[in-house]
Amino acid sequence: MRDRLRRTLSPLIALVLALGVSALIMLAFRANPFAAYAALARGALGSEQGLAETLVQMTAFLFAGLGVAVAFRAGLFNIGAEGQLTVGALSTGIVGAALHLPWPVEVPLCLLAGAAGGAVWGGIAGVLRARFGASEVITTIMLNYIAFLAANYLVSGPLQGNAAAPETALIASSAVLPPIVAQTRLSAAFPLALVVALALAWWLRRTVAGYELRAVGRSERAARYAGINVRGVIIQAMGASGALAGLAGATEVLGLFHRFNVQLSPGYGFTSIAVALIGGSDPLGVIFSSFFFGIMQNGALSMQALANVPKDLVSIVEGLVILFVAANWLGGRLRLRGTASVIQPGADELPAQGAVAS
Amino acid sequence: MSGFESVALAVLAIALIKATPLAFAGLGGVISENAGVVNISLEGMMVGGAFGAVLVSYYTGNLFFAVVAAGVVGALMALLLAYFAVTLGADQIIVGMALNILGIGGAAYLLSAVFGQPGASPQVRSFGSLDRARSGDLAALFTDPQGHVLFWLAVFFIIAMHVFLYRTKPGVHLRAVGEEPRAAATAGVDVKRVRYLATIVGGALAALGGAYLSIGEVNIYSDGMVAGRGFIALAAVIFGKWTPLGTAGACLFFGLFSSLQIALQGASVPAQWLEMLPYVLTIVAISGFIGRSRPPACDGIPYEA
Repeated sequence: MRDRLRRTLSPLIALVLALGVSALIMLAFRANPFAAYAALARGALGSEQGLAETLVQMTAFLFAGLGVAVAFRAGLFNIGAEGQLTVGALSTGIVGAALHLPWPVEVPLCLLAGAAGGAVWGGIAGVLRARFGASEVITTIMLNYIAFLAANYLVSGPLQGNAAAPETALIASSAVLPPIVAQTRLSAAFPLALVVALALAWWLRRTVAGYELRAVGRSERAARYAGINVRGVIIQAMGASGALAGLAGATEVLGLFHRFNVQLSPGYGFTSIAVALIGGSDPLGVIFSSFFFGIMQNGALSMQALANVPKDLVSIVEGLVILFVAANWLGGRLRLRGTASVIQPGADELPAQGAVAS
Repeated sequence: MSGFESVALAVLAIALIKATPLAFAGLGGVISENAGVVNISLEGMMVGGAFGAVLVSYYTGNLFFAVVAAGVVGALMALLLAYFAVTLGADQIIVGMALNILGIGGAAYLLSAVFGQPGASPQVRSFGSLDRARSGDLAALFTDPQGHVLFWLAVFFIIAMHVFLYRTKPGVHLRAVGEEPRAAATAGVDVKRVRYLATIVGGALAALGGAYLSIGEVNIYSDGMVAGRGFIALAAVIFGKWTPLGTAGACLFFGLFSSLQIALQGASVPAQWLEMLPYVLTIVAISGFIGRSRPPACDGIPYEA
């Protein structure tokens, strides 16, 4: 129980500290931090439209954050959410433009395409890790750039659907997720993301596969001795992680842009690493942290407009939050992933540093 | 000079120009990772260095101070990495991610807060254009009093680091700290101190790569100008098997591809495929398809005395 309290408190303390240090930075440049945070909150929460847009931003953070969290729980560090999101969005864009079916068939197929695209991109890193011991940290970083460049090539060449911009053709009207609140961009993607979060929480806690995934995250070696197919779990976890990030891209296409565009993500996948960390890699925690990041993302512009503080302050807050969570000042085990297998999988097979060799 | 020869020389010159910032950052990665600290924030440190150099050049007009300032920014960012990773034993990848976001976001914030103009800084004094070298006058790269300083500095650091790591006692200690810290500690090496120093020197080097981009190749800082080169440098470290000479070779190889990509513009090979190559090759290398690329044994693992 104390461990649980610590896991909840630790991100909150990090958050308060990050907001505090950022306030000092603003003071150093003669800006009023209270006015800035007030403007940020007012823009993000102060009106029905503002709140709806915050939830729109939250949706992408939630899907992608859940993806990173699942990988963390398996002891894997998926830095590739942005690339998986890109491949997912592109897949959805292609399928959505190619098929013209009634919406009860079209929408699920488009979502499936996005999840599958992301799953393949994440799964590649999973296979390379499971079969060849290649660090997923490195491979997902590289796969990000491969995804950006490949998508860029495709939409400015073979798949270009609009002569004026690097993007695919519009998706079928039956594929569009319409707004669920009038005069906003909030679509059914938001409730869908919440349902997926709850389902994931249940899956991790109550199913054998979820248990095995967490066991591998705790200790690959122990999981192996317990007879768990560690390689299979790693591939599954990276696939699932990629699928969730892919859904973030898919819903951007279906609910907001209605086509794939190379600039459709302002870095949701990269920020989702922070989202997962603040959420303690727990799906329910990620719901709260994605709401917070939705507020930051959406409120940044009104902070810039009303309080004259550059919107990039939000990135400073984000970076500091991650730093302070990593510091783990409250002690206890920050068990987000397996033992120290940072660059080299299997490093946890080595005796622990400083431990007495026996 | 024949047409082919001049084209080949231009390709080579641009390859060297493109490889230089990668080499600075790659060497930064080599030294910290050989001591056991993974630095995936080379990108953020390059951004910090690029911005710091422009800021100081803007206010002083002195290029020496500007380069030193870049090194200081990188060293301070690396000090944060060392404090969190070495002293607190925090996860090095997570800290590295945070520093990347802080570097990129911090530079963007300061661009608005200091210069009052988001996106790009005003033009500042710089090392001068590399136009002569770019147009195929390879000799200009070596003799042009303006263009060659940082290039030769990179060459110097490549050789110096090779000699240091493999021919001097502190260098052997540093590698021991990355391979087998407990044994190094038993032999009387202060593991944490070595890791701090290696990380800080590495950060300063990475930032020099950034300074090369902002006041070496051009004369402004603009958001996004580092454009993932920190990650290509990380790739070069892996591709170069964590050695200075190997990493420098990988940087030259990657530089050659950016150069070819410029030379082949409008040709039948899409630019994106050539740009993709460093990333694909790194995945191939780290997966062991072409001889295993193996990091120092305790790279990334916190040390508890």
